[in-house]
Amino acid sequence: MATLAKMGRTVAVPLLAKRLGIVTKSVRCMAYWNKDWKPGPYPRTPKERAAAAKKYGLRVEDYEPYPDDGFGYGDYPKLPRISDEAKDPYLPYDTPHNKRFFGEPVHVDADAMTEDRWNPTRTYRYPMNQMRLWFIAVMSGFFFLYWLGNKYTIFNPAMPKAYPNDGKKHYTFESTE
Amino acid sequence: MGLTYSAYIGAPDTTPRPTDLPSFDPLYGFQNGRPERRMVATTQEMQAAGLEAKDRDYCAHKLIDLMQCRKDAFPWTVACSHKVHEYEQCEFDDYVLRMKEYERERRLRERSKRKSAMVQTEALGN
Repeated sequence: MATLAKMGRTVAVPLLAKRLGIVTKSVRCMAYWNKDWKPGPYPRTPKERAAAAKKYGLRVEDYEPYPDDGFGYGDYPKLPRISDEAKDPYLPYDTPHNKRFFGEPVHVDADAMTEDRWNPTRTYRYPMNQMRLWFIAVMSGFFFLYWLGNKYTIFNPAMPKAYPNDGKKHYTFESTE
Repeated sequence: MGLTYSAYIGAPDTTPRPTDLPSFDPLYGFQNGRPERRMVATTQEMQAAGLEAKDRDYCAHKLIDLMQCRKDAFPWTVACSHKVHEYEQCEFDDYVLRMKEYERERRLRERSKRKSAMVQTEALGN
């Protein structure tokens, strides 16, 4: 029994120590629960604006919250829509995989604008009208061919198959002589 | 000309469509009559063999034979290759009959068109 208890301690103590370490770390963080990541209320006074700008690491003249029309995000700053794809790939970023410097404010829709997703500032090789026109032209071409194939079917020179129970008499072409 | 050309450009009024059925009397023009096609397998046999509707044609008895042979000879079903050939030959002959019926229908349409044109020219001449 004593051996069993000793074995239990050798396994449990390092595990518990590790777990306690995690707990202390998360307590030390700025926020440890999702409500702590929520933006604050919409700033009304210049003082509140300055405080919000400081909170998000922006200058007061750069800070502009989303309009408080019921669809806003509290005091969260309205940042330009720049995808990670559009950012300079040669800068020494602190987080290279999403091209972000330490403390840099993140766009509200940043999850949609990672490198492999949406790029709102993308310039296309051909203008959008031309691309739409080509799309419509190609699809109409396919539909035209489909319609043509339905209207003018190609078939074999044979009558429909004769079945013995369709209420008609069927004959061969053999001679009766 | 080719069938597709005839069907849509050359002679669209006398070329039968693939869904058209024979519209003339099947015995028209046969002085001695025509032999009727004979169905060998009975409905009970076809039901017992579990044939699908599409297989209940004039070759059903050969298909039943083939299925029986395959069942008896399994797994040496190569032994039934002659029956396979018999069944396929029967289906081939059936298709040839269909093609002949198609050609007969087409020629009779041409003929009736010619005849009505002749009647019209005679009426104009008188």
